[in-house]
Amino acid sequence: MTGPARRYFEEIEIGEEYVSPGRTVTEADIVLFAGLSGDYNVIHTDAEFMKTSIFGERIAHGLLGLAIQSGLLTRAMPPYATIAFTGLKWKFRTPIKIGDTIHVRGKVIGKVESPEPDRGVITLARTVLNQRGEVVQEGETDLVVERRPTA
Amino acid sequence: MTGAAMPAHTYFEDVEVGAEHETPAMTVTEAHVALYRGVTGDAPAESGIAPEILVLCLATGLGWRLERPPLVVLAFMGIEWKIVRPLRVGATIRAVSRTAVKRGMREGGVVMEDHSIVDQHGDVLQQGRFSFLVARRPA
Repeated sequence: MTGPARRYFEEIEIGEEYVSPGRTVTEADIVLFAGLSGDYNVIHTDAEFMKTSIFGERIAHGLLGLAIQSGLLTRAMPPYATIAFTGLKWKFRTPIKIGDTIHVRGKVIGKVESPEPDRGVITLARTVLNQRGEVVQEGETDLVVERRPTA
Repeated sequence: MTGAAMPAHTYFEDVEVGAEHETPAMTVTEAHVALYRGVTGDAPAESGIAPEILVLCLATGLGWRLERPPLVVLAFMGIEWKIVRPLRVGATIRAVSRTAVKRGMREGGVVMEDHSIVDQHGDVLQQGRFSFLVARRPA
């Protein structure tokens, strides 16, 4: 997985920002995600019960939002020479409901050389927003990225 | 959630700090990776390796298969998580957890659980802390 398009640690700058395309989260997404994950909690699957809840309807799994933002931001970023995704700090602020359209903003906020000479850690702040501009989820991810090989 | 009583659920009052749980195990397959990719658009970093967030999603699903009555989660509040090693497709995972913190609030209470996802060799793949808002038992 080497190629000219993959960016090394040295080439990524603090303060770089990325904005993803939007994506509308549908009932089908929630049903498929319940089937995949095995999380059939009533808050995601029982429309009648949820009519009586403070949300008034089913809500998306928090982890579905986390996974969708990961896919969305990948589409908006020039690829890094990533070795590993190693850390996540995440807050679920407000539910994603069926029909909401979300997008994610990413910003490079940390860049630390690792003890190993061939790599470093990039920290990305991520904010997931809905169609009203409300923050639905936010947090930070740590990626271990290759340094430019020395000839 | 309102006061509609759900039978056989674990409410905030029932949560015990220090309680430990271990889920059943499951084998992670290429079908999981393909479905996950289709639903989320999130792809593995390299072929044969499961996306890290997929592993986390599967482990939380395993948590719903514990023998204890399910926790009445009003909201998943947050995660602090480390990915220790990658998961090769074909590996079999299970999750072990321990209730670390319990703090009462006006509406329900916050429960923090330390979770580890381990493979068939007992090696830790991912670990960290989940925070949930849990309902009180309806009066």
